[in-house]
Amino acid sequence: MKATRFLILALLVWSLAPLTWQLYTSFCTDQALVTPFASLNQRWTLDHYQSVLNSNPPFIRYLLNSLFVGGLSTFLTLLLAIPSSYSLSKMGRRSSLVIKFFLIGCALFPYVLLFLALLEIARYLQLGNSLIALAVPYAALSQPLAILLLTNAFSDLPAELEDAARVEGLSVVQRFRWILLPLISPAIASTAILVFLFSWNEYPIALTWISDSGKLTLPVAMARIAGSSIHSVPYGPYAAATVIGSIPLILLVMVFQKPIVSGLTTGAVKG
Amino acid sequence: MPLLILLIPSLLFLVAVFALPLFRYTWLSFHADSVMTGLVAIPNQGANWQRFIHDTRYLQDLFQTLRFSVVSVTAEIVLGLVIALILHQPMRKRALIRSSALIPWALPTTVMALGWRWIFNTPYGPIDRLTQSWLGQSLNALGEPSIAWITTVYADIWKTTPFVALILLAGLQTIPSDLYEAAKLEGAGSWICLRRITIPLLLPYLGLALMFRLAQAFGVFDLVQVMTGGGPASSTESIALYAYWNALRFLDFGYSATIMIGSFVILSSLILITWLVVTTARNRSQQSLAR
Repeated sequence: MKATRFLILALLVWSLAPLTWQLYTSFCTDQALVTPFASLNQRWTLDHYQSVLNSNPPFIRYLLNSLFVGGLSTFLTLLLAIPSSYSLSKMGRRSSLVIKFFLIGCALFPYVLLFLALLEIARYLQLGNSLIALAVPYAALSQPLAILLLTNAFSDLPAELEDAARVEGLSVVQRFRWILLPLISPAIASTAILVFLFSWNEYPIALTWISDSGKLTLPVAMARIAGSSIHSVPYGPYAAATVIGSIPLILLVMVFQKPIVSGLTTGAVKG
Repeated sequence: MPLLILLIPSLLFLVAVFALPLFRYTWLSFHADSVMTGLVAIPNQGANWQRFIHDTRYLQDLFQTLRFSVVSVTAEIVLGLVIALILHQPMRKRALIRSSALIPWALPTTVMALGWRWIFNTPYGPIDRLTQSWLGQSLNALGEPSIAWITTVYADIWKTTPFVALILLAGLQTIPSDLYEAAKLEGAGSWICLRRITIPLLLPYLGLALMFRLAQAFGVFDLVQVMTGGGPASSTESIALYAYWNALRFLDFGYSATIMIGSFVILSSLILITWLVVTTARNRSQQSLAR
């Protein structure tokens, strides 16, 4: 028992120590960072937070951009994936297996390799610098995972349920609205959160599509701070930005731990 | 038949995003399309492929990518198994502990990539201070080519082990506990239980985690681009980063497309081989279990 407790403690230190260090850095004056053991008259400061929040464009902008793209691409993904997975769950064993293999192949594809062609498409259609357009490739890249997860959920429902509803005279839309969707809502929730996390964190495509500084998503905005120079990254403001940028995600993980875990694990058990 | 219609929008999207680029790359790889040609594609009779075959920088990056992937995925699987075994124990505040363990995985890679740059900073970061005071010399974790790639591996392990741990945890939950009780009655210790029960029954999940992580690690980009920019001396440059430099720094789209399609062929054959190895290992262990 004692050993377990020690291991849990080690696990927590391993996962949280780097973040804690960022938290500590974000409150230190520049001088305190360079000379940690010297006695200073001023060790703690809120300057870094102020400079991050008052920068132009303000940091909140990036959070809102990411939130917007994340929300939109989650919506698009579900809009496409729910009907597809319904039809996949009704399909014959062999044809559904073929499609599932295709989807797994797509999911295993290192999607970074796609950025150049996607960039060309964006240029051709003049979609660069549009957050709405950015949601389209995100929704497409999320399809394999979303369809696989939701197909499992649909297949788990007893077939008699829908048959009974059909006998009662409910149309397809009514069956969807009143019977199927409520029953698979836990799976929809897990899928939605996983897709949202992917879009929130996605980097290479956002990096190449968006150059307008008011439209950057959070990951690209963070990387830009570093990109200015290899040697003089403003670590204090950067740490403050890390902290502010991490808070929404930490809250998300704390609140939605259950659906995230069940999404990842049902994918693993059935896949 | 109406069932198929529902699938068509998704499949069209998938084809547009996954298949079209591959055709486009194949086509572009036989064309010169760079600043030199005014960004107009001109057929160049396989000159890109000639260059690709003899490109030592690509070879070095391929080696680095494979080294990075193999080391970090192996470590993630081992560590992920340990974490999954810890999280599988009955404990108080389980939800809170699980969420905390998940946080590294949920954060954007770029956010912590810069965080690591500060933590491994020479001479002001905490790690360098520790080595300075204990070993009396600076580690220079991001400036020394022979160490920098290990530092990026470490950052990758930190970020993606929770993902592996969760998949393995799902696997652990499918193992019936009476198997362990029966083994204990026959006098098996916990080490034997782990080797004879847990790992064989976990093999499908280990295989799954291995496949997904390998595929992701082959495409490593965010972490390296932000943490080291491929340096020092290109020692941490991955093939995805090299393709990115070619397209957006050297503005040579033809050659970048050649790298993409070449890498696609190499990496997918590696993934396919891994998949074959994993499935045969799984089948064999199932046969031996059945016996």
